[in-house]
Amino acid sequence: MPRYVRARTLDEALDRLAAGRWRVIAGGTDVFPALADGQPGREDMLDITGLAALRGIRFDESARAWRLGALATWTDVRTAADLPPWFRALKLAAREVGGVQIQNAGTVAGNLCNASPAADGVPPLLALDARVEIAGPGGVRVEPLAAFITGVRRTTLAPDEMVTAILVPDPGRPGASDFLKLGTRHSLVISIAMVAVVLWRDEAGAIAAAGVSVGSCAPVAVRLGALEARLVGQPPGTDLAALVHESDGDALSPIDDVRASAAYRREAALTLVRRSLARCGEAAA
Amino acid sequence: MSIPISMTVNGQPVSGSVEPRTLLVEFLREQLHLTGTHVGCDTSQCGACVVIADGVSVKSCTALAVQCDGSQVTTIEGLANGATLHPMQQAFNDHHGLQCGFCTPGMVMSAVDLVTHAPNPTDEDIRKGLDGNLCRCTGYQNIVRAVKAGAEGMRTGMGG
Ligand SMILES: Cc1cc2nc3c(=O)[nH]c(=O)nc-3n(C[C@H](O)[C@H](O)[C@H](O)COP(=O)(O)OP(=O)(O)OC[C@H]3O[C@@H](n4cnc5c(N)ncnc54)[C@H](O)[C@@H]3O)c2cc1C
Ligand code: FES
Ligand code: FES
Repeated sequence: MPRYVRARTLDEALDRLAAGRWRVIAGGTDVFPALADGQPGREDMLDITGLAALRGIRFDESARAWRLGALATWTDVRTAADLPPWFRALKLAAREVGGVQIQNAGTVAGNLCNASPAADGVPPLLALDARVEIAGPGGVRVEPLAAFITGVRRTTLAPDEMVTAILVPDPGRPGASDFLKLGTRHSLVISIAMVAVVLWRDEAGAIAAAGVSVGSCAPVAVRLGALEARLVGQPPGTDLAALVHESDGDALSPIDDVRASAAYRREAALTLVRRSLARCGEAAA
Repeated sequence: MSIPISMTVNGQPVSGSVEPRTLLVEFLREQLHLTGTHVGCDTSQCGACVVIADGVSVKSCTALAVQCDGSQVTTIEGLANGATLHPMQQAFNDHHGLQCGFCTPGMVMSAVDLVTHAPNPTDEDIRKGLDGNLCRCTGYQNIVRAVKAGAEGMRTGMGG
């Protein structure tokens, strides 16, 4: 019979992970639906929801980054009043995740660890250059999100490690961001494609840096580096959507499945990118 | 490994003994015989199982019973005051917010949670707030009407 342990401290959780194989449980919204299939129910469960130190969202002065504790839920993100305006992409994603009850329980960190190609948290955080803070027996390591997720449901997490926070760097310049998701229904469906755009501006209002990422169109969400490079330096008022080339879709490797064909996904993704750029351009111009 | 748990359900202290993988909904239905909380799916999608735990709405098929040790849980059975329906229940009745009624307990619990956080919701707020609840019968129109009326009833402290 599988065991269940509710860790009281991070050290206790790490000791457990070092001593045996455990399924870490945060919101459980990815883990528990699978219980119906009888699979994860066979695993020992390490419940981390009691670790108060992993709760909340705050600005970390020394890291010049916003720190989303591993237990920060989608509802926490959606309702956080003090986040800068450029967090909009993540806030919009939070509103679109699975309905209120899933937002109340589900964590952003769990979304990243679960590493679904359709995870809504990944494109915004990828475009924001987020890093993942990971604790293990050897101490703490911090890794860019882009390196953390390595494939469909695969990350660099070792069995004796756990995520303690997501760090979103604050470059200290004005920015705007946006998120768009396409599905057959507003909620409770797996996305066909989703897009996040982040634009940073210099003093003159020109684009100083850009992040554009697309999810659900490859095993892991991808950034459109060529498009980002084209965006940098554009003065305010530029028609940003017109800068998107058909070839930007070459970075994607969408699949054909019951939800949509690969060709439709590629087309839809580029359309969402154009729309998102237009919305971001308006917000920051 | 059977784990003893205790919690407060609808104001009553209850206790039991569960396997780690026992879901909250299984504990409510099978041990407490509170069968008003429904199970409509095995994918955490339908929302028929929504209850309020420690002030937030949760899908009781997506929480372990052991995790709710020490919690305050309200189920659909906890809303009415004796023979007097809760304003939200009354509003679903008055506005024909149900047909087969299978989704109704979850709809009502989500609606109560929604109005607790937003006492005067717009139609859009209601539709968004009920995103996690599926209904196969009503087409939702009357549910939205019912929740509007139920919100009014909750504000004025009367049946809808
Ligand atoms: C009805 C429904 C709708 C949904 N809709 C969406 C949607 O629209 N978009 C979307 O992206 N997702 C959706 N999801 C999936 C899920 O809700 C999210 O991925 C959520 O963010 C997962 O977080 P969690 O805390 O519940 O993770 P859990 O289920 O607790 O964990 C997920 C995985 O991550 C691991 N894990 C969690 N936290 C840590 C940690 N700190 N360290 C190491 N490993 C950890 C767990 O071991 C597990 O493998 C939906 C799920 C349901 C049931
Ligand atoms: S039973 Fe369907 S969401 Fe819980
Ligand atoms: S009334 Fe039948 S499912 Fe909603």
